[in-house]
Amino acid sequence: MRAVTLASIRAHLPRLIASALAIVIAVGFVVATLVLNQTSRATVLDAVGAPYVGVDAVVTSDDGSGLADELDRVAALDGVAAVDTTWETGVQALLPGRTGQQYLLAESVADAPALRWQSLADGELPDAPGEIAVSERTGATVGDRFPVTSFAPDGTERDSSVTVTGVVDLGGDPTAGIYGRLWGTAEQLRAWGAVDPVELRVAGVEGVPAGDVVQQVAAALADRQVAVRTGTEQAEEAAAQLTGDTMALTAVLLVFATVAVLVAGLVIANTFAVLLAQRTRELALLRCVGATARQVRRSVLGEAALTGLAASAVGVLAGIGLAAAVSAVAEAADSPVPLSGLSVPWIAVAAGLAVGTATTLLAALAPARAATKVAPLAALRPADPAPLRSRGGALRLVLGLLLLVPGVLLMGVGVALADVLVALPGGALSFLGVVLLAQRAVPPVVGAVGRLAARLGGVPGRLAAGNATRNPRRTAATATALLIGVTLTTAMVVGAASTRATAQAGLAAQYPTDVIVQGDGSVPASLPGRLAAVDGVVAASSLTAATVTGPDGQETGVSGLDAATAAPVLRSTGDVPIPAAGEVVLPWWADSSWGIPAGGPVTFTAGDRTATLTALYGDVERPTLPVAELARLAPEAAVDTVWLRLADDADHTDVIDEVTDVATAAMPFAFVTGLASERAAIDSVLDVLLLVVTGLLGVAVVIALIGVGNTLALSVVERRQENGLLRALGLTRGQLRGLLAWESALVAGVAAVLGVLLGSFYGLVGVASVLGSYGELVLSMPWLQVGAIVLVATVAGLLASVLPARRAARTPPVAAIAG
Amino acid sequence: MPVPVMTVPGEQPASLSGAAVRAAGLRKTYGGGETAVHALAGVDVAFARGGFTAIMGPSGSGKSTLMHCLAGLDAATAGQVWLGDTELTSLRDDQLTGLRRQRIGFVFQAFNLLPVLPARDNIVLPMQLAGQRPDPAWFDDVVARLGLRERLGHRPHELSGGQQQRVAIARALLPRPDVVFADEPTGNLDSRSGAEVLGLLRSSVKETGQTVVMVTHDPSAAAYADRVVLLADGRLAGELTDPTAASVLDALRGLGA
Ligand SMILES: Nc1ncnc2c1ncn2[C@@H]1O[C@H](COP(=O)(O)OP(=O)(O)O)[C@@H](O)[C@H]1O
Ligand SMILES: [Mg+2]
Repeated sequence: MRAVTLASIRAHLPRLIASALAIVIAVGFVVATLVLNQTSRATVLDAVGAPYVGVDAVVTSDDGSGLADELDRVAALDGVAAVDTTWETGVQALLPGRTGQQYLLAESVADAPALRWQSLADGELPDAPGEIAVSERTGATVGDRFPVTSFAPDGTERDSSVTVTGVVDLGGDPTAGIYGRLWGTAEQLRAWGAVDPVELRVAGVEGVPAGDVVQQVAAALADRQVAVRTGTEQAEEAAAQLTGDTMALTAVLLVFATVAVLVAGLVIANTFAVLLAQRTRELALLRCVGATARQVRRSVLGEAALTGLAASAVGVLAGIGLAAAVSAVAEAADSPVPLSGLSVPWIAVAAGLAVGTATTLLAALAPARAATKVAPLAALRPADPAPLRSRGGALRLVLGLLLLVPGVLLMGVGVALADVLVALPGGALSFLGVVLLAQRAVPPVVGAVGRLAARLGGVPGRLAAGNATRNPRRTAATATALLIGVTLTTAMVVGAASTRATAQAGLAAQYPTDVIVQGDGSVPASLPGRLAAVDGVVAASSLTAATVTGPDGQETGVSGLDAATAAPVLRSTGDVPIPAAGEVVLPWWADSSWGIPAGGPVTFTAGDRTATLTALYGDVERPTLPVAELARLAPEAAVDTVWLRLADDADHTDVIDEVTDVATAAMPFAFVTGLASERAAIDSVLDVLLLVVTGLLGVAVVIALIGVGNTLALSVVERRQENGLLRALGLTRGQLRGLLAWESALVAGVAAVLGVLLGSFYGLVGVASVLGSYGELVLSMPWLQVGAIVLVATVAGLLASVLPARRAARTPPVAAIAG
Repeated sequence: MPVPVMTVPGEQPASLSGAAVRAAGLRKTYGGGETAVHALAGVDVAFARGGFTAIMGPSGSGKSTLMHCLAGLDAATAGQVWLGDTELTSLRDDQLTGLRRQRIGFVFQAFNLLPVLPARDNIVLPMQLAGQRPDPAWFDDVVARLGLRERLGHRPHELSGGQQQRVAIARALLPRPDVVFADEPTGNLDSRSGAEVLGLLRSSVKETGQTVVMVTHDPSAAAYADRVVLLADGRLAGELTDPTAASVLDALRGLGA
């Protein structure tokens, strides 16, 4: 039989290539997913964890006490080659081309080359006091000189002047746009008043494993409250802190990968089923000439295993190539996508080969079983269309329901518990059920829609409707492939839209104010008006401040908020509520320090005046009461802070620069915090992730389309005689093409609509279960995209029929007789 | 080798006027060079309206090829074919297709019917393709004569071979075509069903004046026709009128088959 297997592979090479293509793409898809996932993680890690990735050990102080004293102790260890600590402080600088001074974060660069992580866009890192490197955000260039005002811990000011020796490229660091940064020598930073640093970075001696270095350092510092981690761990920690919801992110990717493998398997199974069904006659002939059922099965499975392995190998290469192309494009376009270079985890290669081969074999099992049941006589009679109510059909119905019902229940539980690990298997189970039931459910739906097509499409439309309903196996096979693709796409689009809406709501709650301008002391009366007039600022609200006596008898600073002007400025009042008359918003520390429950009364006194207010809690720095209330309590209260809201379409960086200039011109030490750019930065990280997911999705849709094209092409081969007969009886070429176009538009349209319904459901359930535990959930239905998916899938189904239809139209009428 | 009849397209020789189908100088060559097969090597033939003609000859003599060329299913290498006044070899594919569905009926040896359609839909298919509705009285008449009234809702695989052929004949007769071509219509049937099918073909000629051209290699089938055209090596090799099984057998023996 081996000779038959090999001869069969050789004889069916063109058809095998069609199905192998599905495997290649599916495996390529899985591998590309894994590789891109790894690459994007590596890139984020690179950008945010840059100070740590090349480092063997990182020591961080747990109790906030300084670590500068331990430098020598750690440096003396055997396995340690160099130790560095980052001195850090804030300075005010008058950058070239700017009218006011600006707050910049200053950090020290390491002496040891091994610990210098900054990559330079231009020039070199500073070597002596007076020299600095700047981040690109500052706009300064090599050779610029500008004055810097620094502050000693006791508050005394010192002026100095620095020369720029280099410009640092912060790569994909999403915080790079928030404020400008400076780097100087450790000596310079100490001179600028940097306080005792709380972190040490350690480079090990060449050849000593990082784990050993960590152990040595940990042992040496056993008397201090410190955490010692490897550089990689620390980088992961930093990346996690940046994204915050890394868990949610991993969960989403996990869902995606699972679904992707599932889809790939189903598409392969589909193609193989059609492929074998088409060879029924040939297998029957083998049985006629004396092959046993086992021999036939072995031959079919051997063919599947060989095909699967070969196609998987090609798929792995294709996947890596695809990932490389995507990342090269992302890098070349200088997009904010965190993709640079290529990290190929070995698991991607192994998973690709295993998934491809195993899926092909599994997919071939059922058809192989069916093939062995073929009566030898089948070779001798014309092929009957598969009856709808076969025993396999009944089994499928029962099995489908057995999977669907518990799966849906499990998803319900997953949503209720907001636990994706419960919802995920539920989703997988129920979707398998749906796919099994599609076999039975799709043809009647197609039939109903087909009656409409018959009215519109003339004879080809009527014939197409008949074909689509009267050969349920073919219809279901074609529809299922697309149904899977559309369901997946829709689930992702809906899921992404809701994730985004939820994240944006979360960000707005976390950063409700775009820009905060704080003066040192009171703000000149004309400043709020001038700030509000800056181009790109749409609303402003002034906060007053005063010092009063709190319920514990201690003095405390409080703020007065004007509800009327604050409401249009705040993007969300979820975390920062606006106090109504008679209310005060307390910071969280008041709960423990003052012991006042939410809703309880709290009394402030100032001189002989008192105010008793109802307590609310929120993310505020100081107790915040209505401005009128504060004016009554402390008439001397003056404006010390201005909140600004920026136009959504404004260039936030430009507006914040302008605001900074206006503010510092009026108050030299004004402190401007541009939370808008931080929100934008995090938002763009989200955008990027969604972009990557959508890119991967494109691949899923391509697989589905190949599935449709394959099924149609095979059905054209299968129907050669039928098409020949139709041509002989008077169907023109155009009508034959129209027949196939109608058939495929019908099937694709129905699959698309069903898929969109299913996908929306899965997307919403997925988001609810993944993000349900991360605070308030905002569900969002992107109607436009969903409509576009239906349209694209239907049109793509039509396009997929073009090549097969051309081939069908070339069928000579004589084919009906020639057989 | 017969001298090809010289004709100007559209102008027909007087002796052949009134023919339902005729061919002049028809050649069909497969392949080229050394291995070329001349399936038809110059055939001039005419089939009278309202006649039942059998085309006979040994296997490989070109019977099917001749029928395909006459029916516009296949393009001839040289020569002309007229269906009534219409010259076929100069028609475009779409014109030919339209002609097939309105003016020609087919009965093949096997795979006559679309497996997905029930008998009724198979019967009306060519008329549907032409966007026409069958005359209900004529439809009933045809279905009754072919004994298919009880079978109209069945799909092909639920019908016996003889029933399938009768459905195919009903489909061929329904549009009242200029000519019905049948290629070995009884080749797959037992002798009783075969006799039934042939009787039905003959009665449609006698009762409704339908022109039928049938390819067969079975002398007793040919005996149902009122004329037999003999073919050998792609050429006409004689003809018989009012044939009997015995006279056909004799003629075939004369061809060395
Ligand atoms: N498609 C083809 N390619 C090559 N030769 C063919 C083809 N069809 C028929 N022939 C040859 O043409 C000759 C006539 O064939 P055909 O008309 O089928 O004969 P018949 O129907 O009388 O048995 C035969 O020699 C056959 O081998
Ligand atoms: Mg023949």
